[in-house]
Amino acid sequence: MNREGAETFLRLLAETEIRGPSSPPLRGPWSADAPAGSTSKLMVTVAQALTAVQALDDKTAERILTDFDLAAIVRPGHPQPAPAGRASPPRPRPGALRVTIPRRYGLPPATGTTPAAPPGPGWPERFVPVGVSVPFSDEEFTGELHLLCYAHVASGAAFAMTWSIRHAAAPFDAVRAHPRTLAWRFTVTDNRGQRYDLGPSARSDPVSADLIWLRPDPPPDIRWLEFSAPGTSPVRVELVAAAGAEPEAAQARRSAGEQLLIMIAERLMADGANFPRDQRTRSRPGPASRPGPQSRPAQAVPGALGATAAGLGTIIAALEAAGVLSPLSPVPGWLATVCGGLNIGGHGITAPARRDLPEPWLNLLAYGQRRKPDTGPVHAGFAAMTVALPELDGIGLVFLGLHTSGGVTALHALARGLDPDARAGPCGVETYFPLSVWIRDGGGRWHAARPSHWHRSGPEYALQLWLVPPLPRSATWIEVLAAGRSAQVRARLTLRWGYSP
Amino acid sequence: MVPCGQGMHTVRWEAGALVLPTHADAEAELVLAALGGEKAGCIELAEAWGRHVDDLSVLAIGPRGAADVINVSWDDVRQAAAAGQGGGPARRGRMRLASQLGSGSAAGRQAQQDMDHAEQRRTDLLSLLALGYGFQVRLAGQVAAAHADGPDARARPALTAAITGRLALVAEQWLGIDPGQVEVSLHAGPGWGATELTGRGEARRLRVSLPAWWLARVWACGLPLIGGHLVVAVERAGWPDARVLAVRAPGAEPVPLDVHAREAAPDGRADAGDAPHWEI
Repeated sequence: MNREGAETFLRLLAETEIRGPSSPPLRGPWSADAPAGSTSKLMVTVAQALTAVQALDDKTAERILTDFDLAAIVRPGHPQPAPAGRASPPRPRPGALRVTIPRRYGLPPATGTTPAAPPGPGWPERFVPVGVSVPFSDEEFTGELHLLCYAHVASGAAFAMTWSIRHAAAPFDAVRAHPRTLAWRFTVTDNRGQRYDLGPSARSDPVSADLIWLRPDPPPDIRWLEFSAPGTSPVRVELVAAAGAEPEAAQARRSAGEQLLIMIAERLMADGANFPRDQRTRSRPGPASRPGPQSRPAQAVPGALGATAAGLGTIIAALEAAGVLSPLSPVPGWLATVCGGLNIGGHGITAPARRDLPEPWLNLLAYGQRRKPDTGPVHAGFAAMTVALPELDGIGLVFLGLHTSGGVTALHALARGLDPDARAGPCGVETYFPLSVWIRDGGGRWHAARPSHWHRSGPEYALQLWLVPPLPRSATWIEVLAAGRSAQVRARLTLRWGYSP
Repeated sequence: MVPCGQGMHTVRWEAGALVLPTHADAEAELVLAALGGEKAGCIELAEAWGRHVDDLSVLAIGPRGAADVINVSWDDVRQAAAAGQGGGPARRGRMRLASQLGSGSAAGRQAQQDMDHAEQRRTDLLSLLALGYGFQVRLAGQVAAAHADGPDARARPALTAAITGRLALVAEQWLGIDPGQVEVSLHAGPGWGATELTGRGEARRLRVSLPAWWLARVWACGLPLIGGHLVVAVERAGWPDARVLAVRAPGAEPVPLDVHAREAAPDGRADAGDAPHWEI
């Protein structure tokens, strides 16, 4: 890695921008405590790329951008910042603390597929696909609690779950704000007669937090749990350990620059598949959707693609200058092909487009090109499945099921080793989750899985990945392909679908 | 002229130092100020100058040439200082941050210190820019000189960019080349470096290798382009006569030139009045 080359590149870009800015000024300081100025969008994007691959440290980047701000402000004729009212707020960081997961809780390394390390002395972690709905009905609420997977880890026992509310006396927003409103209705008893409360891991967790915890922590070997709720019969949840999928790991050798460009390409393809082809060219400049932690991502809008791709050529040059991208790498050419396929211009990539795209990319691009505006809705449902993947680039992932509602398929995961302090990446990529995850359904269609939101549950993070396109209910099995810089993992999983009545 | 007390005082730059003619014992005033006494405007400015004589940010912010106009008035400096002392939204936001962290906590104190440092630095730089082009160039020269002797990896990127940004404008005048087609590398070792012109059209490139001291000894002295020659080194410094080493065309061997300075810049800019104009 050439850190000096990286810094020199950003400083030379500042010289070019001082002579004549190539991108509109961007109010919105590099960091919350930097003075607002007129930093160019291109400068920020390149700084984000260089810090994402760790070729440039935050302090240096901040100093260069702060100096550039002041240099722009004192020059008459240089674009001034937009009024503060129109400013995009700085992207909130996913959490406040960097969490280092003790090694003994880490998932196995990529070279093997051994079971997960034990969460406590003498007993292993436990992940059991469930796929059971527990109905409830009283004067205030009628609906179902859908239990996707039982997970017993170091910080306790939890169910990956989702709710269906068919009748609510109170506005659902109020329910989201006070998840215990729903959870306290259930009585949970195990095969030994021990009773448990259900609740989020902390009072502040929203009900959409995807994990609901058993309190007190149950013993490791419970066989079943019985859920009782008002107005309905008890439902027994068998916790018989199913034979889990065996992930197959293989080595990979991607440079940091390649991995970043792959994440950018996947974001472009996923956004591109979200709206019809004929709308992409009627682009209006606009901010790329940038989902923050604990929030639903904004739907990609026409115009966001062009804005997302702006400056890609400069990013590639910066990565090469930083020594984290070989001039011989095929990835810039792939990215050029993706931009061409999505009808995105102005990206500035000079590498010739290549035809040898990875299969999932080709598949998703083809889907986006075939898709018509009147594509029918995807039916709601949930599917139980689970697999613990070997650690990839320091991140442990356990998939805990998926559910579809509102035309969106969400993949539930428990993650370890995320970097909640990671600064926003360029082009809207989520640098706190630097992996590439794809799902292939039984029909051969590939679905990009992009991080939507997360929340912290003890030392783990409950993470949702949204699939693009959504998964059809006809899929009886899926293949998960997760890839980092050093390894990639495949696992085939059988789906047990459940449906809301 | 610098606002000081109720009036405006003259400051000068002489032989590499900022001089305050209206403050006979500036050293003593500095000591008094350090002990908590009231600071005169000139003294504050001298302190700011001292804080930034080796600050590479000066090169990133300051002028790239006489045509690169920077407009900072003393009113701007006053407004920036007032905003820093409680009026500005940035200040209020940072105070909220420090308050959230707890003013008594280590993090709160650090946030407060960072905030004060950033505001001091911004006000400093604005006041130094308000001195005008002649001072801006001399300060840039001092900064470059401070780092010119075997620059380390921390200084090289800033020096490379600083030379590129300035030489690009010089090269535009010299060869009519697009400034974006000028590539600079830092020359290390003996001698002055090299120049090379390659390619055609969009692929045309002027590649120049120059030592970091070129900024201090050539550019900051107003010598970079004289009579159609790119000056690459100074053989004999002096005023108003000097001898320089200059190249007529890229790739050509440098030749010694005797040059003579005129007082005023030819463009007549009041701000550039103390920037010398050199002729062969």
